[in-house]
Amino acid sequence: MGERLRAVLPSVLPVVVAMLVGWVGLVLLRGAEVASQAYLYMLQGGLGDWGRYLEGGSAALVLRPLGESAIKASLLVLTGLSVAVAFQVGLFNIGAQGQMLLGAVAAAVVGAQVALPGVLHVTLAVAVAALVGALWASVATALKLYRGVHEVISTIMLNWVAISLVDNWLVVGPLRARGTHSVSGTDEILASAQLTRLLGDDSRLNTGFLLALVAALGVWVWLGRMRAGFEVRAVGLGPEAARTAGIAVGRRTAEAMALSGALAGVAGAVLVLGTEWRYPGTLGAPYGFDGIGIALIGQGHPLGVTLSALFFGVLRAGGTRMQLLTIHRSFPELLQGLALLLVAGRLVWVELLRRRKQPAPVASSPAQPQAEVPRA
Amino acid sequence: MLEVLEALLYSTLDAAPALVFAALGGTLAERAGVVSVGLEGMMRAGAFCAAVAALAVPTPVGVLAGMAAGAGMAALHGWLCIRWRSDQVVSGMALNLVALAGGTFLLESFYGPSGTPPVQQLGRWYLPLLEQVPLLRALSGHSALTWLALVLPFALHLLLSSTPLGLRLRAVGDKPHAVATLGLSVPGLRWAAVLAGGALAGLGGAALSTAVLDRFEQHTPAGLGFMALAAMVFGRWTPLGAFLAAAFFSFGNALRIGLASSAPRLLEVVPQGVLLALPYLLTLLVLALQGQRSSAPAALGTPYEPESR
Repeated sequence: MGERLRAVLPSVLPVVVAMLVGWVGLVLLRGAEVASQAYLYMLQGGLGDWGRYLEGGSAALVLRPLGESAIKASLLVLTGLSVAVAFQVGLFNIGAQGQMLLGAVAAAVVGAQVALPGVLHVTLAVAVAALVGALWASVATALKLYRGVHEVISTIMLNWVAISLVDNWLVVGPLRARGTHSVSGTDEILASAQLTRLLGDDSRLNTGFLLALVAALGVWVWLGRMRAGFEVRAVGLGPEAARTAGIAVGRRTAEAMALSGALAGVAGAVLVLGTEWRYPGTLGAPYGFDGIGIALIGQGHPLGVTLSALFFGVLRAGGTRMQLLTIHRSFPELLQGLALLLVAGRLVWVELLRRRKQPAPVASSPAQPQAEVPRA
Repeated sequence: MLEVLEALLYSTLDAAPALVFAALGGTLAERAGVVSVGLEGMMRAGAFCAAVAALAVPTPVGVLAGMAAGAGMAALHGWLCIRWRSDQVVSGMALNLVALAGGTFLLESFYGPSGTPPVQQLGRWYLPLLEQVPLLRALSGHSALTWLALVLPFALHLLLSSTPLGLRLRAVGDKPHAVATLGLSVPGLRWAAVLAGGALAGLGGAALSTAVLDRFEQHTPAGLGFMALAAMVFGRWTPLGAFLAAAFFSFGNALRIGLASSAPRLLEVVPQGVLLALPYLLTLLVLALQGQRSSAPAALGTPYEPESR
């Protein structure tokens, strides 16, 4: 158990501390009572109002919030996996946002312009989105492998190229919905391209959530149980050693980055085919950037990514309900940013905890976990 | 024709300082070896604090508050990256996310979605002598920040290329261990560069909310921090290069806005989105043609460990 705890602590502690900091912030802004109620609302908004449901309320009281959480979580799982897969091969894919955007557009176009029977149509739309995301990510791989361009720089640039081209050209120009008065946004997709709703009218939960979970499982198998994934991890740990061992470093890097882009592209497809049903004027939510936080908080492990995505999915969905207290729904995003900052500063608190563990004259505070923390 | 050029020049000079300052700030920090993908977040903090401060105190003091906010964000970045050797890209992106969500949250909590109340804009300098001269007329009627943005790149160029401090700053980004053998403090030099870079990024943000606009808006700086990053790379990590790239990008932007109002027909041939993507495409192209290793600081992104080689 100690071993397990040691493994999850670097993920759990930043999240807990971020939640505490956020709570203290709210107390300072609005007082303790509102702050506590806000956190309760955040949980109710994300997990459902079980109290009222058990008193005989309708099933929608719990199904709708849970569904919204799952929808947000599925996007975070996919973009988180995207960043995590790139991490495994030693690359920092900041470009998930751009890859997701292009995947979303591709899914919207296939969804609206191609006529196919149900399952085939959805599959094709998702596959094209994955392909487009993979191709966009591969531009960064090519620049890296052939020209030595750092992927952080190239993916940031590719993000803004994608954002500019899509939001300021494609969806206000050639791809703009025909016959409507709206200034931007693509045609609505056909019913055959929509992801199936799982809970009927009670919730918007759709098969995109299952798709995300399957993707997480797939990535886990690929990384942990298959030769290609093993070689990818070897390249990530040390490209020179991997090359000496006979691993085709360039090829594995390209594969991992393509998979990373494909996952981000699928996130775009899930957004469009699952809930939006068209590419809206702008894809406001920066889920691609969120993926960085999710991947790091989840320590780059598929299971960790899934869990942290589920957690923040719940908070995100719950943020909407906090608006009842006139607390803006960006609050959960702030918590997520703080948690990422604490993950970035991991060495700081590892050191602090280690100092505390030593027989110091200061009495250790009961709030500090007693478990040993892994070294950096 | 001359009037058109004048108008373009005028709006370039008006809008460019924000981008120039941020690009210079990024250049300074990265030349010392510390990655600055957090420029966007530092600009946002600077823009927010400058606007909020300017509601209560004279605007120039507000601008200083914006610089302090940028430096404050940079101090956090420096503390994580220099003191604790954290991953610089992670730290920078974390700053961006915190500034993005935090800015929105504070704005919504205190002022509402449309932005802060308007503040007194920075005073504009009118130069009656220049206003007689065609073309040079465009130089008149800007805030002091525009003039600073025209002078600062050269000052920084001199600092980096011709002073002992500049040599040390560049050396600390290329070969920190060599600097350490001279008995100089690697962390000290990096701290100086990161803090100054953050203050410049904050100044860029402040320029947005007190000179270009008169308030902090929900989306400020709307990706300008990343464009500053592009300008820095496009300018090959030199102050003058970053300045020229930032000026070029700003001119392109002014041209785009000018075309949108005066010649919408033309924009049907070359859509706005393509023009907007151009700075980033050009930066990618330059990187693809020249490779990155030739110009980026050698120790960029590598935490300094005294006991490694």
